[in-house]
Amino acid sequence: MNERIKKPKRLGVSYAKWGYLFILPFFITYIVCTLTPQIMTIYNSFFENYRRGLSQVGPNFVGLENYVKLFTPDKTGSIDILKYFGNTMILWVLGAVPQIVVALLLAVFFTSYRLNLKGQQFFKTVIYMPNLIMASAFSMLFFTLFNIAGPVNQILKASGMIQESIDFLSLKVPVRLLISLMNFLMWFGNTTILLMAGIQGIDQNMFEAAEIDGANSLQVFFRVTLPLLSPILVYTVITAMIGGLQMFDVPQILTNGKGTPDRASMTMVMYLNNYLGGSKNYGMAGAVSVVLFVISSVLSLFVYNSLSRQYKDAPRKRDRV
Amino acid sequence: MKNRENTKGRVQLILARTVAYIILIFLAVVCLFSFYMLIINSTRSNAQLQAGFTVVPRENFFVNLRNAWTDASINIPRGMLNSFFIAACSAVLTTYFSALTAYGIHAYRFKMRKFAFYFIMAVMMIPPQVSAVGFIQLVNKFHLTDNYLPLILPSIAAPVVFFYMKQYLESVLPMEMVEAARVDGSGEFRTFNTIVLPIMKPALAVQMIFSFVSSWNNYFIPALILNKPEMKTVPIMIAQLRAADYSKFDMGKVYMFILLAILPVMVVYIILSKSIIKGVTAGSVKG
Amino acid sequence: MKKLIALLLALVMVLALCACGDTKPEEPAGEPAGEPAAEPAAEPAAEPPAEGKVLNIYAWNEEFKGFFEKYYTVPEGVTVNWVITPSDNGAYQDKLTEALLNQATAADDEKIDMFLAEDDYILKYVDSEYTQDITAMGVTDFSSAYKYTVQAATDSKGAVKGVSFQCCPSALIYRRSIAKDVLGTDDPAEVQEQLNSWDKFNAVAATAKEKGYYMTGSFAETYRAFSNNCSGAWVDENNNLQFDPQIEAWIDQTDEFIKNGYTLTAGIWDQEKTDQMYADGKVMCFFGPAWYFNFCMSNAQDPEKGCYGDWAICEGPAAHYWGGTWLLAPAGTDNPTLVADIMNTFINNEEVCSALVKNENQFSNNMKVNAKFAEDPEYGNAFLGGQNDVAVFYGLTDKIKFENHTIYDQLLNEGIQNNLREYFQGTVDKETALANFYKFVNESYPDIVTP
Repeated sequence: MNERIKKPKRLGVSYAKWGYLFILPFFITYIVCTLTPQIMTIYNSFFENYRRGLSQVGPNFVGLENYVKLFTPDKTGSIDILKYFGNTMILWVLGAVPQIVVALLLAVFFTSYRLNLKGQQFFKTVIYMPNLIMASAFSMLFFTLFNIAGPVNQILKASGMIQESIDFLSLKVPVRLLISLMNFLMWFGNTTILLMAGIQGIDQNMFEAAEIDGANSLQVFFRVTLPLLSPILVYTVITAMIGGLQMFDVPQILTNGKGTPDRASMTMVMYLNNYLGGSKNYGMAGAVSVVLFVISSVLSLFVYNSLSRQYKDAPRKRDRV
Repeated sequence: MKNRENTKGRVQLILARTVAYIILIFLAVVCLFSFYMLIINSTRSNAQLQAGFTVVPRENFFVNLRNAWTDASINIPRGMLNSFFIAACSAVLTTYFSALTAYGIHAYRFKMRKFAFYFIMAVMMIPPQVSAVGFIQLVNKFHLTDNYLPLILPSIAAPVVFFYMKQYLESVLPMEMVEAARVDGSGEFRTFNTIVLPIMKPALAVQMIFSFVSSWNNYFIPALILNKPEMKTVPIMIAQLRAADYSKFDMGKVYMFILLAILPVMVVYIILSKSIIKGVTAGSVKG
Repeated sequence: MKKLIALLLALVMVLALCACGDTKPEEPAGEPAGEPAAEPAAEPAAEPPAEGKVLNIYAWNEEFKGFFEKYYTVPEGVTVNWVITPSDNGAYQDKLTEALLNQATAADDEKIDMFLAEDDYILKYVDSEYTQDITAMGVTDFSSAYKYTVQAATDSKGAVKGVSFQCCPSALIYRRSIAKDVLGTDDPAEVQEQLNSWDKFNAVAATAKEKGYYMTGSFAETYRAFSNNCSGAWVDENNNLQFDPQIEAWIDQTDEFIKNGYTLTAGIWDQEKTDQMYADGKVMCFFGPAWYFNFCMSNAQDPEKGCYGDWAICEGPAAHYWGGTWLLAPAGTDNPTLVADIMNTFINNEEVCSALVKNENQFSNNMKVNAKFAEDPEYGNAFLGGQNDVAVFYGLTDKIKFENHTIYDQLLNEGIQNNLREYFQGTVDKETALANFYKFVNESYPDIVTP
C-alpha cells in the first residue's frame, strides 16, 4: 500500500496483467467469431474460388490475378473499381458533411445552458426516429414518394412546375441526392446523440471559466467545446467514414441492387455483393474487401492523426485567451 | 453600460433561440414526415395502398392491427419477445465488454497495448459482408442454427463500440480518480465497476441504444441462422409478410407491423436517452 | 443508470427463462400433435418403419404451405417443420444451399426432406448431386402431368428430381372495352385472330396509339413471350454468352414501342403499370398466367375504381409460360416414402388437383382435371366476363416448352431486363447498356465468357 503511494510512476507496470485480463474477453470472442472468416477473406483473395451451380470451383492459387482483374480497364478505358470508389466517396461526402455539421450544431443547442431550449426531449426523440425505422422500410417509403407515379410527381405536376412526370430514380443527380438525403436523415440524429454525450462529458467548469473570461459563444465553441470534444469528434468522423465506405443497404434497396443509372450509384460494397450473388465468388469478393480495407485504413489513419494532432494543440491556444 | 450589454445579450439570446427553434422544427418536420407516412399507410387497406399515396388517414387501422396481430403464420408478440431478448442481451454485453476493453487499454500500460489498439482499429475497417458468409459457414459447421448464441455472443467484440468507449474515456476519465480508489484499497475490477462505469454512463447509454437498435433491425444473419417459426425475429417476420403469396399479401399489414416494430425501440430509446443527460452530473457528484 | 442495467438484465433473464420454458416442451418431437402421440402407434404403420418423424420443408413463402395444410394429411406421429426464408437479397437460396451442402452431416431430424424451387433457378438444384431421382422413391406416373413441368425437373442424365403442383402457361390478358375500340371486337377468338403474330401485334400497337391507348404497360411486358421461345440457351457448350435472336427481337420491339409511345417504360411490377389496370387505364394488353389475376391485378378488382369483368384472355402472338413452383427431393431425406406420396398427391390425386383449380384459382398440373373444367360449359371466370380461362390455358399447354435452360437463367434474365431498361429510358446508349449487362454477368458468373 505504502509502496504504491511512494512510486506512483511505476503503478502501470505492476497492473499490466489487469490490462490483459480486461481485454481478454473481447479478443477471445473476436478471434472465435469474426477473425477466422476475416482472415479467410484475405486468404481467398489470392485464389480462384467460386461455385458453379452447387459445385465448388477451386480454391486454386492464382497469385495476384484477382487484383489484376479488378484494376484492368474495360473497353472504354475506365477502371470499374475506381469508378465505384468515386461513387462511394461522392455519396458519402454529400451525406456525411451535412450530417456532422448539423449534428454538431444540434448537440450544442441541446447542451447549451444559455439557450435552455424547451421541448428538448421531444426534438431529441424525433430526430432519432428515422434511425429506428429499418433501412429497408425507409427505402420503401422513399421509393413510394419519388417513383414516377408517386406523390412528389403528382404534386409537381399539379402545381404546374413540370409537365411530364420525372423518373427521379433513373437520373444520376436525383438518385445520388436521394441516397445522401436518406443517409443524412437516418444518421444525423445518431451523430447528434454521440456528440451530445461527448459534450455532457466535458467538465462544466471549463465553460464557466471561459464565460468569466468574457468569451462569446463562438469563442467558447471553437476554443473550449471543439478541442475538448475532439476525441469524440475524431470517433464520429472516422466511423462516419468507415460507414460511408461500407455504404450498402440504402442504395442497394433504393436502386434494387442495380446502382442505377449507368452504375453511378453503385458503391464498393454493392460491387462486392455482386460477386457474392450468383456464384459466391470469394476470390474476387475477397480482393474487393482487401482493397476497401486498405483504402479505409489509409484514410482513417490520416484523419485520426491529423485531427488528433490539430486539436491536441488547441487547448494551449485557449490558455492564451 | 452593464444594462446595455445585458439587453444586447438578451437580444442575441432571443435571436439565437429563434434560429435554433427554426432549425429544430424544420428537421423535426422532415423526420416526422417519414413516420407520418408509415402511420398513414398503416391505416390503409392493401387495395388503398396499391392506389398510391395520400396524406389522409383511412379507416383500416384496427383491421390491419387485428390482421397483423392474429396472422396465423407469424406470431408478432413472440417475435417481439425474441427480438427484445436478443437485442437486450447484445446491448448489455456489447457496452459492458467494450467499456471493459477500452478501460483495459486506456488505463494500463502493458506490452501489447499499442498492438491491441491498432488491431481493433484495423479490424473495424474490414467490410462485414464477406466475413458474414464465413460466419454462417462456421455456425453451420458447429450446428448452432436455431440458437441465439451466434446472434448474441459476437456482440462482446464490437470494435466500433470499443473505439467510442476509448475515445470517451480519453475525454472524461481523470486517472487521479482511479489512483485514489487504489489508495482506498479498491480492487481493479471493483474500481472499474463502481467508479469508471458510472462516469461512463452517457457513453454506455448511447451505445446501448445504438446496439439495441441495430440488433433489433438486423435481418440478414438471423434470417440465415433461425429456422424455427417460434424463434424468428421481427425483421424476418416482416420480410416473410412482404414475401407472402397473393392470397395473403397485404401491405397494410406490413406497414402496421413496421409501425409496431418501432414502438419498443422507441420506449427503450426514451428511457435510455434520459440517462445521457443525467449521467454526468450524477457521476461527478459520486466521484 | 445502474438500476436501468439491472432492470434490463433482469428482463433478459426473465425472457431467457420464458424462452427455455417455451422451447423445452417442443423438443420431444411434436408437441402440437401431442395427444395422438400419447397412444404409442396404435395404428399399423402404413409407412416402412425406418422413416423419420420430422419432415423439413424449405420454402420462400407460404403459398404451398397453405395448399399442403388444406389438402394433404400427414401420417400420425410425423411433424411437418416449415423452414420459410423470404428470398430478399438471395437469402432463401443461400440458406437452402448451405443446408444442402451440410445435408450429409446433419442429424436425421434436421435434414431437408423436400424443398421448393422456381423455374428460373430450378436447374441449379436439379442438375446436382444434392437432389435425387424420385422414380426410385415411388413417383413414377407422369402421364397426367404436363411435359414441360417434368422436363424442368429432369437432370442432364435423365433422372426426374421433382414435380410441380401447378402449370403456368401465360396468356395475353386484354381489356375488353379497349379491344372493342381498337379492334372492333372483344371476342377472344377474333382478338386472337388479329394478334396471333408479332407483326400483327406491332401493327395493332400503332392503331391503339392512334386511338389514345397504350399497347402494353411495361418495357418488359413481352419479355417472357420472347425468351421462352429462344432457339438456344443463354450459354453455349463452351460457356460463351449467347444472344438469341428472340432476345434481340424483344429489344427491337421494346425499343420501337417506347420510341413510338406504344408502351409505358415502367417495370413489370411497378405501380405506374398497375395503375393502368383501373377503369380509367389506357393499357390494352398484359401478359400472365392464372396466378396473375389475383397476384397482380388487384387494381382491376377494386370495387370503386376497378373494371371487374372487363377482361378476357387469348393465346397472343407467342405461346409461353411464366413462373411456377416445383417440389424437389433432396438426396439424403429420411422420409422418402412420405415425400413421394406428397408429390404423387399434388400431380395425380384428381380430387386434390380439382380443389386447386376450383378453390385456389390454380391451373393444376393434371391434364385430366384441367380437361374436365375446360369442357365444362357451366364453368366461367366472372373476372374475365364469364370466359372459361381453363379452356384457353388448356389449349396453350402443349405449345409451351422447357428447353434451352441453364443454371444461370435467373440472374441473366434479371440482368438483361434491368440493364436494358436504362437504354429504353434513354439514360444510356445501347452499347453502354449491353456493356453494363456484360459486367453484371462477369461479376455474377466468372465462368461465363462475355463478348
